[in-house]
Amino acid sequence: MNIKELNKKKTPIVTMDESLKKFKKQPLFQDKVDKANEILRKVGLPKSKKQYS
Amino acid sequence: MKLPKYPLKAEKSLMVFEFTSDGPKGQIRKLVKYSETNLKDMYNLAFGDRDEESGEIDDKSISNNGDSDMVLATVVSTVYAFTERYPDSWVFATGSPKARTRLYRRGLTKYLLEIRRDFQVFGLIDDEWEPFEKDVNYEAFLVKRK
Repeated sequence: MNIKELNKKKTPIVTMDESLKKFKKQPLFQDKVDKANEILRKVGLPKSKKQYS
Repeated sequence: MKLPKYPLKAEKSLMVFEFTSDGPKGQIRKLVKYSETNLKDMYNLAFGDRDEESGEIDDKSISNNGDSDMVLATVVSTVYAFTERYPDSWVFATGSPKARTRLYRRGLTKYLLEIRRDFQVFGLIDDEWEPFEKDVNYEAFLVKRK
């Protein structure tokens, strides 16, 4: 698949790189995760999932 | 989105992705991470620059590498990959600094029709989620695969 075909796809082709696994356990972007948790605790999910489908 | 995107790498759970921005300021490695939150099936999406020397990730830098559309298209493509692997997941994103939030909003606005074909898209304003509309200064965004 060339770069033109690759760019037309919505779901990307992803090369596996297990060296990235170390970032999975690291608390990266923790301030954003904390902020997300705070917002979600306060407002939860959108009220009606069906309403917006 | 049918836009130029950077090639992606990921570890096998597809919760951490990496790509390299290439522009006037050189090559900048970007890391995208989906983190679990306190709500089941809810993941926080964040991305930042990976410093080659220190190995640290900076999610507040504005690279100005002249490729923000391509960077955003690449980040959105990770949402496609992630939600294909985890179809019940919700993806939450908020920007920091505010310029990042504006970048998200601009990208969502620009490609809203296309994104809406595949995702429910919400914006947070005044502590309420509402279906995403153009030209609204949302505090956070939430998407779910249709």
